Amino acid sequence: MKQAVILAAGEGNRLRPFTVTKPNAMLSIADKPVLQYVIEALAQNGIRNIVLVVGYRKEQIFDYIGSGEQFGVDVVYITQKKQLGTAHALVQAKGATENEFLVLPGDNLIEADTIARFVAMKPEAMLVKRVDNPVRYGVVTLEEGVVKGIVEKPKEAESNIVNTGIYAFTTEIFGFIDEGLDIPDVINSMIAQDCSINAWEIDGTWLDVVYPWDILGLNDAILRRIPAKAGGTIETGVTLKGLVSVGKDTVIRSNSYIIGPVIIGDNCDIGPNTCLLPATSIGDNVVISPFTEIKNSVISSDISIGPSCIIQDSVIDKGCVIEGHFTAYSSQTEVKINGEHHLVNVGAMLGGGCKIGSSVVAQPGVIVGNYSQVQALKLISGRLPDKSLVF
Amino acid sequence: MCGIVGYIGDKPAQPIVLNCLSKLEYRGYDSCGIAVSSSGIEVYKDAVRVAALRKALPQLDGTVGIGHTRWATHGAPSQVNAHPHCDCSSKITVVHNGIISNFQLLRRQLTAEGHNLISETDTEVIPHLIEKYYDGNLEEAVETALRDVEGSYAIIVLAAGEPKLVAARKDSPLIIGIGDRENFIASDVPAILDYTNRVIYLEDGDIGVVTTDKIKIRRDGKEVSRQEDKVLWSVEDAQKGGYEHFMLKEIHEQPKVIRDTLIGWVSVAESAVDLAAMRGGVESMLILACGTSYHAALIGKNIIEELLSIPVRVEIASEFNYYSQTLARTVAIVITQSGETADTLKAMKKLKAVGCLVLAVINVVGSSASRIADHTLYTRAGPEISVAATKSFIAQLMVLYWLVISYSEVDARRLADLITELRQLPEKVQQVLDNEDKIKEYASYLSKYENVFFIGRGINFPVALEGALKLKEISYIHAEGYAAGELKHGPFALLGEGTPIIAVVARDSTYEAMLSSIKEVKARGSTVIVLAEEGDEAIGELADLVITVPKVEAIFSPVVNTVALQLLAYYTAEERGCSIDFPRNLAKSVTVE
Repeated sequence: MKQAVILAAGEGNRLRPFTVTKPNAMLSIADKPVLQYVIEALAQNGIRNIVLVVGYRKEQIFDYIGSGEQFGVDVVYITQKKQLGTAHALVQAKGATENEFLVLPGDNLIEADTIARFVAMKPEAMLVKRVDNPVRYGVVTLEEGVVKGIVEKPKEAESNIVNTGIYAFTTEIFGFIDEGLDIPDVINSMIAQDCSINAWEIDGTWLDVVYPWDILGLNDAILRRIPAKAGGTIETGVTLKGLVSVGKDTVIRSNSYIIGPVIIGDNCDIGPNTCLLPATSIGDNVVISPFTEIKNSVISSDISIGPSCIIQDSVIDKGCVIEGHFTAYSSQTEVKINGEHHLVNVGAMLGGGCKIGSSVVAQPGVIVGNYSQVQALKLISGRLPDKSLVF
Repeated sequence: MCGIVGYIGDKPAQPIVLNCLSKLEYRGYDSCGIAVSSSGIEVYKDAVRVAALRKALPQLDGTVGIGHTRWATHGAPSQVNAHPHCDCSSKITVVHNGIISNFQLLRRQLTAEGHNLISETDTEVIPHLIEKYYDGNLEEAVETALRDVEGSYAIIVLAAGEPKLVAARKDSPLIIGIGDRENFIASDVPAILDYTNRVIYLEDGDIGVVTTDKIKIRRDGKEVSRQEDKVLWSVEDAQKGGYEHFMLKEIHEQPKVIRDTLIGWVSVAESAVDLAAMRGGVESMLILACGTSYHAALIGKNIIEELLSIPVRVEIASEFNYYSQTLARTVAIVITQSGETADTLKAMKKLKAVGCLVLAVINVVGSSASRIADHTLYTRAGPEISVAATKSFIAQLMVLYWLVISYSEVDARRLADLITELRQLPEKVQQVLDNEDKIKEYASYLSKYENVFFIGRGINFPVALEGALKLKEISYIHAEGYAAGELKHGPFALLGEGTPIIAVVARDSTYEAMLSSIKEVKARGSTVIVLAEEGDEAIGELADLVITVPKVEAIFSPVVNTVALQLLAYYTAEERGCSIDFPRNLAKSVTVE
């Protein structure tokens, strides 16, 4: 198996506001987009021929991945003009595939070891995993390692084994694809026509990102395996515990206290007296002022955070400017997305380019749209659309 | 303006030379040609682009070859004028970039001596001169021949029965690429990046003798050593990575270019470039540039005067060279993407002669300008292939901001605000890019017109000039950039339904004046497309169409405004079906005066 088709055309509208300007495969976690982790896992297994099916906000992928050279792979881009389904996406790549190839979603985190074992299987094959909450996935019925059927998001799951969306196919699959179908439908019709689909269950990490707080889970999983790195300047009196990675030209000022896993990008200015707790990732060009404490959060690039802020279990997207005494505590709360209610532990989720005035308090679970502005001393809660003005 | 390349090694030369040539097409592409040496030398050339030549060529044996892609200076684009050029016996072939200024005299002499020159080019005298002096030692013949030659050149010579390439340069760029049992010679680095990133930059007057496994550099008859450099651009940088055109790819790279400049900020400050001379004591400055870089210079003037209170004079290099002026011994900043712009190089020499401190802002490492300048600040744009400059312009602005902010005497609070704002800038530019679909709509409207005015005031007047330049060079729409207040001194006569106006409006001291300019223009019946800050409702009511850009500090407004105008130009040209990356009659860097 030398080729992989990565499906990265989708938006993932349940991830708004984070996907308003980028496809979900480009969500940044621990300073890199999810798609990069997928590509790196493939490259580690010598799979260097990558067909990337792109569509929604494809320029973001072009700009970051380019020809793939930087990641040790060769990338061919295929555009899916309308995102009609995963099988429709795959069929766009028909002319570019070899006899055997892997298919992976661009927004799932998968380990290189898992891929290594999976490619040893004979196609057609599907990677499955046991999960606690199968109803949000395609639930798979198995019989002696062979797939007997997939039911998408059932009300009641017959098993806790779900489809990861990672497959090994031969060109035979194209014979079964009708326009506009999803891959699980195609697999069901293949099974109906007596094709055998092998299943292989993984025990390693597999995480997908469907809701904004899933970003925190992925971040946690990735930070468990980062190497420590000390770039930049670390002033005297700084305490670093556990795995901490500091990018180049970054300054960590006196008396800051950092407990890993924490990753900090390039050209950041942190402290003095700033406290970063596990598991936090911080992008490039970020300023974090004195007396701010950040815990289990994803802070993207080009962000300024003022003094004495408390930020927990939060996701803050590119280009936000947050003034002092911003509070985003985490607690268990009910968040409504596309009419579904979810009970989660989460702080604030801020879209890109927001301006938050001083002493703003964010209620747990607040989702703030991109480019919103909140005046000082406001309490924000619920869901604010893009470009909201809170005065 | 041409691109030249040479290959010597174990592999067939033909595909390698053609591949390198295709990467050099941005230097000119009206004709191209190739010569490959096996038992004899075979030359194929025509007034076509590289892709067409590739199709027309038979398979050529031989592992030594040279190639050329031409931008006509002497003699129209034609098969006979295309390079390589040969001597009488077709044994010595030469590719050349530059201009031989005394070629007419040499041509008469050579003809009188019985040489048969068949083309109208200046280049053809070179192989005949080499033929005249050749007695078995090619490099000596080249050296002797070049003594007769005046002007600028980068040449590669390939002769029958000589398993080597001889290269020489004077005032035109040339590099040698070092491979494993193969070596390369080319006008620039991207041409050979597919094969190696180890390069030697030749100096003026050097003669390189390159064989499969040896590189010798001679100067005045003696062997000299030249340092090897490692180029850290990846090959990907020279490819289109998903986009249809280099220009769009390069426009989209701009947030990264800005971020890279910011990240490099600290390291640059620690580099050998000592700018302390600019602090205090500097009574005036001069900025010199051509084309798009000239617009960066005008914006530079604005920010230097505002933040450093140093008076700045800005000159177009090609004009500067032709009038006699009193020159103070001052700090001169020279801005050039390629570092090879002939007019700029000439002006730099003039500045050096009067004792100015010359600071060059250049994108191409190792280019001629960096060798003339006292100090060089490199812009972090990476190679720019599209003829229309985009990211190199933004990178130039970033360097100018850096210069000013690092040395400004502005009070600390203002400085902190500016730096916070700068950190948001990549994201602000990304917002402009995310608004692409809207700009595309307006582009399709604009594409139906043949005349457009761009107006602006203050720091955004150069942005209007740049917007007009981008539009005219790639969409072939006649576009003029004007200071908004100047329209009534003439151009008003041209306004009317058929002439839309694009107004660049910033929320600075020029705001009210811009509003009245827009009203005046509307009264003459022209459609007004306004580029305005988000949330500016007053403008929304005045304008026919509004392109919104994110709010930024006024001195950074040229960055977001220019990016929006680049996209407008790109999509207008796309709508009109123009050859965007290689517009007609234009070449990337203008190495002739």
